[in-house]
Amino acid sequence: MDMSNPPRPSLERRREINWHLPAPYTWRMLVLLIAVAGLLLVSARRVDIDKFLALSAEAIAAQLGLRESSQVGRGLARIGKDLFPITLSYRTDVSRVADFDEAKLPWLAYVETVDHREYRMNPDTTKLEETVSRKKVMVEPLGYLTLTVGKMIETIEIAIWATILAVLLSIPLAYLGAANYTPNRAIYAIARGTVSLLRAIPELISALFLVLAFGFGPVAGFLALGLHGAGFLGKFYAEDIEAADKKPQDALRALGASKIRVLRLSVLPQVLPSYIAYTLYILDRNVRMATVIGLVGAGGIGQELKGRYDLFEYGNVGTILVVIFVTVFLLDQISARLRARLIA
Amino acid sequence: MSAPLSMGAEGQHRAMLSFNRVSKQFAHGVKALDGVTFDVPRGEFCVILGPSGSGKSTLLRALNGLTPLSSGRIAVDGAELKPKSLRSVQRRVAMVHQQFNLVERLDVAQNVMSGAVADAAFWRVLLKWYPKSLRERACDLIARVGLDELHLTRRMGELSGGQQQRVGIARAFLLDPDVILADEPVASLDPATSRDVLTLLRDAARERGTTVLCSLHQLDLALDFADRIIAMRSGSIVFDGRPDALDRSTVASIYEGSGLEQSRVAA
Repeated sequence: MDMSNPPRPSLERRREINWHLPAPYTWRMLVLLIAVAGLLLVSARRVDIDKFLALSAEAIAAQLGLRESSQVGRGLARIGKDLFPITLSYRTDVSRVADFDEAKLPWLAYVETVDHREYRMNPDTTKLEETVSRKKVMVEPLGYLTLTVGKMIETIEIAIWATILAVLLSIPLAYLGAANYTPNRAIYAIARGTVSLLRAIPELISALFLVLAFGFGPVAGFLALGLHGAGFLGKFYAEDIEAADKKPQDALRALGASKIRVLRLSVLPQVLPSYIAYTLYILDRNVRMATVIGLVGAGGIGQELKGRYDLFEYGNVGTILVVIFVTVFLLDQISARLRARLIA
Repeated sequence: MSAPLSMGAEGQHRAMLSFNRVSKQFAHGVKALDGVTFDVPRGEFCVILGPSGSGKSTLLRALNGLTPLSSGRIAVDGAELKPKSLRSVQRRVAMVHQQFNLVERLDVAQNVMSGAVADAAFWRVLLKWYPKSLRERACDLIARVGLDELHLTRRMGELSGGQQQRVGIARAFLLDPDVILADEPVASLDPATSRDVLTLLRDAARERGTTVLCSLHQLDLALDFADRIIAMRSGSIVFDGRPDALDRSTVASIYEGSGLEQSRVAA
């Protein structure tokens, strides 16, 4: 046993080592960085970044009292004045309600009598004359809010069914589009191609065409969102199947299990948490997109928004925007909690 | 093709496993197995010993079809292994893996019952809802490998390496296989746990008369646990016999140049 004096590394040896330790930064990286910066500057001109900076500076100057007013400030103020106060009530001319009975009003509703002024030209004198007529109007204080919330619920329902459609479509697409589970190359290419195509068509565009095919209403919205979502989920699901730990799959394959059985017992438990996360993200996204997709007549709150906007009823538009904001905020909270619970 | 002398018709019937001039050459040119021929009688605990890269894993993986052979024949209980008969052989041959190869997000009971993946009805696999007899058998096995009821619903991530390999062994025994292939079953465990796990594997196999083909790289463990040692080097058999017949010079030749020779001969 000669353990008492292990040879110490001598300092002499250091001089023999002539290694090259690469520097963390190279000239090539610097040149690349300058080139990218140059390209970004050119691009900034093209997207009017300079105009954005100038107008923003003007707005800040106006806020600080250095300037009288600013274009941005005026624009925002006008929007604020138009949208607020938001319209919560719903007013109906009593004469237009069939079988109106003042004793049987809806909940919270009351009847108001208003003077209705009308200016008419007197054909004899060719002068404008004011005529005042008294009208009875039924006011439902929360009528419009109720209607908007109802539309929002319809929107969420569209989103939920779109998500269900997306999941149902993407499960077979993911199986056929996962390189290690697909039956053959041709089917793999078709599945991946389909998924890319579905993802490539923006919802708003496909909704436009689906409205022509299925008519105005939620069907077009649910289909447009579901197909687009299937494009996303099909890709994500397939990539997770491919990336799943191979060792447990090997173990079950060695026992003579078929592909589907290995997928069920070994792959699915591994990928389930991320599947839930993707699906919740798509649901979240579908709710937000479902509000937009109504703009082309595909149902939901967007259709109401478009109608009110076109009629310049900005108070009602304000109500809709507030309801959308509250919904998206709540949905964020709910899906974060759901995710934490399901993924544990 | 004439059969080698050691492989008479009588021998083929007696042997549980029979390897006949088995060779495997990988696509990149490496020859992992080079004309390996041996028989394993029913109920034997046979250790394949050798340094890494000697072809142990390839030999085991060839037996259940995970690695297809380049040439040669393998027979299980007299039936030759062919692509057509592979499924039926796989159901009689279970495997214990080096990295345990359990599903991390399933619990102990589900991992053990997944040993019936190829045997249970399809809807039962889909719902992970196995028949009562199988559930009872899984519980018996989990108790046999030294875990208790509290472990049933634990996930793999919560278990130690030794406990995970116990689950792996329980899974392998679930369908009462004729043969268990153990590919370096204790390579990722500490020495004390390694002995416990190998003891469990050997005793459980003896109780049931299960043939075990177990690859190891630790000489001391091979000497203590094997009924018979087959030593391999560069894809060929360099020793085949009882542990007490293995002498120092043979051991030195197995590990020569592998960097392990000093410590192993000393052990």
